[in-house]
Amino acid sequence: MNESTPTEHGLVSRRRFVQGGAMAGFAVFLAACGRSGTSAAPPAASAAPSTAPSAGASAAPSASIEATPKPSVSAELNWANWTYYMDPDPADETKWKTLEDFKAVYGTTTKYEEIIEDNDIFVGTIRPQLVAGQDTGWDMIVLTDWMAARLIRLGWVEQMDLGNMPNVAANLQDVYKGVTWDPTNDHHVPWQSGMTGLGYDQSVTGDLTSLDALWDPKYKGKIIYLTEMRDTIGLTMLKLGLDPSKPTTADCDAAIAEIKKATDAGIVRAFKGNAYAEDLKSGDAVLSMAWSGDMVQALSDKPTLRFTVADQGGMLWTDNVLIPKAAQHAYTAQVMIDFCYKPEIAAQLAAYINYISPVKGAAEVLIASDPDVANNPLIFPPADILARLHIFGGLDEATEQYFNDQFATVGGLG
Amino acid sequence: MGGFLRRHKAIVPYLLLAPGLLWLAVFYIVPGIQMFLTSLWSGTLETGYEFSLSNVTNYTEALTRFWPQFSRSVLYGAAATVLTFLISYPLAYTIAFRGGRFKNLLLFLVVAPFFTSFLLRTISWKIILGDTGILFGPLKDLGVLPDEFRVLATPVAVVAGITYNFLPFMTLPIYVSLEKIDKCLVEAAEDLFATSFGAFRRITLPLSLPGVFAGSLLTFIPAMGDYVNAELLGNPQTTMIGNVIQNQFLNQNNYPTASALSFILMAGILVAVAVYARLLGTDELTAGGV
Repeated sequence: MNESTPTEHGLVSRRRFVQGGAMAGFAVFLAACGRSGTSAAPPAASAAPSTAPSAGASAAPSASIEATPKPSVSAELNWANWTYYMDPDPADETKWKTLEDFKAVYGTTTKYEEIIEDNDIFVGTIRPQLVAGQDTGWDMIVLTDWMAARLIRLGWVEQMDLGNMPNVAANLQDVYKGVTWDPTNDHHVPWQSGMTGLGYDQSVTGDLTSLDALWDPKYKGKIIYLTEMRDTIGLTMLKLGLDPSKPTTADCDAAIAEIKKATDAGIVRAFKGNAYAEDLKSGDAVLSMAWSGDMVQALSDKPTLRFTVADQGGMLWTDNVLIPKAAQHAYTAQVMIDFCYKPEIAAQLAAYINYISPVKGAAEVLIASDPDVANNPLIFPPADILARLHIFGGLDEATEQYFNDQFATVGGLG
Repeated sequence: MGGFLRRHKAIVPYLLLAPGLLWLAVFYIVPGIQMFLTSLWSGTLETGYEFSLSNVTNYTEALTRFWPQFSRSVLYGAAATVLTFLISYPLAYTIAFRGGRFKNLLLFLVVAPFFTSFLLRTISWKIILGDTGILFGPLKDLGVLPDEFRVLATPVAVVAGITYNFLPFMTLPIYVSLEKIDKCLVEAAEDLFATSFGAFRRITLPLSLPGVFAGSLLTFIPAMGDYVNAELLGNPQTTMIGNVIQNQFLNQNNYPTASALSFILMAGILVAVAVYARLLGTDELTAGGV
């Protein structure tokens, strides 16, 4: 597991686990049902809570925390994350490099578990505590935009103090700021992102720049749409000139009608999750809605494949760090998040993860150490591409149900 | 103990049945009740669920909304069952009457694919039938087939996949009932001037019907609920009820609707089986001893 060959680590994307791991997810669900609200304290002999936080807290004076005494960094931290979302320590594969670095500075031992394989199933395991306002046992959890929006909407997430997180304030890419479901940017912090755009076999289709290609009868039966509702409806809305960051039911109806044109005409071969990449490789499909993280790998298997964010735009989806309500170490969690937003730490993470880092300056750090990653537009999209990306807006529960129901009908599932 | 059983002979059948009944109770009846209660919930994962008898509308709504997938499942299941019968009967007949010393080897070959996972076998069809795969790729290059020709992502692929996957469930019961037929009966018929077709029609076929009956149940029931073949080999127009249940349960977290759909499917199959048993005669099922 060395960081010089990052593409090897991108073999299995997070979403592949979502698809294949449904049953495994249930095992996790069952196991997690027996989980107590608070986790056992790990032995923290070396912990030194009073160690002065070097960068984080010293720059943290803020009006909002006057009333309470300055919190200190705790000896432990509990973090639930997806697989392949943290860099293994090259010196010791049982440890995580970034977490060891954090421990070296702050003395905090992080109990890090790759327990999340599905947004719904994971939230299901902590839902009883969230409803009751009790500690879930986790200080940091990582959830995709729509689920993060849902938890924020339900008031199940601790507010963060940007004063504790100067690196986040300074280094978060602008495209992530001001989402409708967290306009004040203090209930979530992006962890990693991926783009949704066009994946195609250039030797068959030539260069594609327009989403209209996804409706082109020329490729009838050779086009794949995604099972992920927000990606497929989002791209369709962009094709129609609608704004996916502010989705309405009318937009949904328009998008569904547009998708239906393609399914009725037999243009769409299937709706798929990660499996689209296999079909692109085998030639069963020549064009698909595609995720950038998967395509990093697919490209290396079949060099004629291309990933493009169309002129009309593409989708940007993000997995975000949240601090669940009543978390015991909320302050330490913020220090940790801020630590990961230092460009050199973000670069270290990006070199392993292969998804898009939301941190400004990470690419500049990597130019020296790992230029292949730094120059890969799928991992560090240039500004003109970032400007064309859209984040799907938050939906309230009834609207979300409406979108899901409508989307099921075009996929033959409703 | 032995003395006790001798004195209370009536209890023995129940003791023998106990393991099976316990199994059914724990793994069928209890989850069944749980699922039935779930089917009468309303609410969402987010807000929590509430049980109410008035939610019986879950059933009517599910039935009306997903009617196309239900009827498609019946259609594909029935088509696959007929196809497995048409393939299996000659196969089982040949093994039973012409297999000779290769009988066991031939039977083994019928079962052999089962040593590989169901999923892998289905996925390999994607490779074999790929649009430019090992079968159609060369044919298209030669110009025998037009470029847009495809089998994958069509109803044909789904029905063929189901047929392939459930073939042994039809072949083996038919083989067992054919194997048991006393050859003297056929010889007697021929001695009495029956043509060989006449002997087959009036002796062999009726005697093998229990096997056909058992085989078609073993094929039709799982085929109806199958979603793997439709998922891997189909397109958005070939979704079956299994795909809907999977989507409702795992993607939409709509447990009430998913449970109601499962119950409707179960009830539908029970009715179909009852009608079928009436037509073919329940005695045949037990008489065959398959």
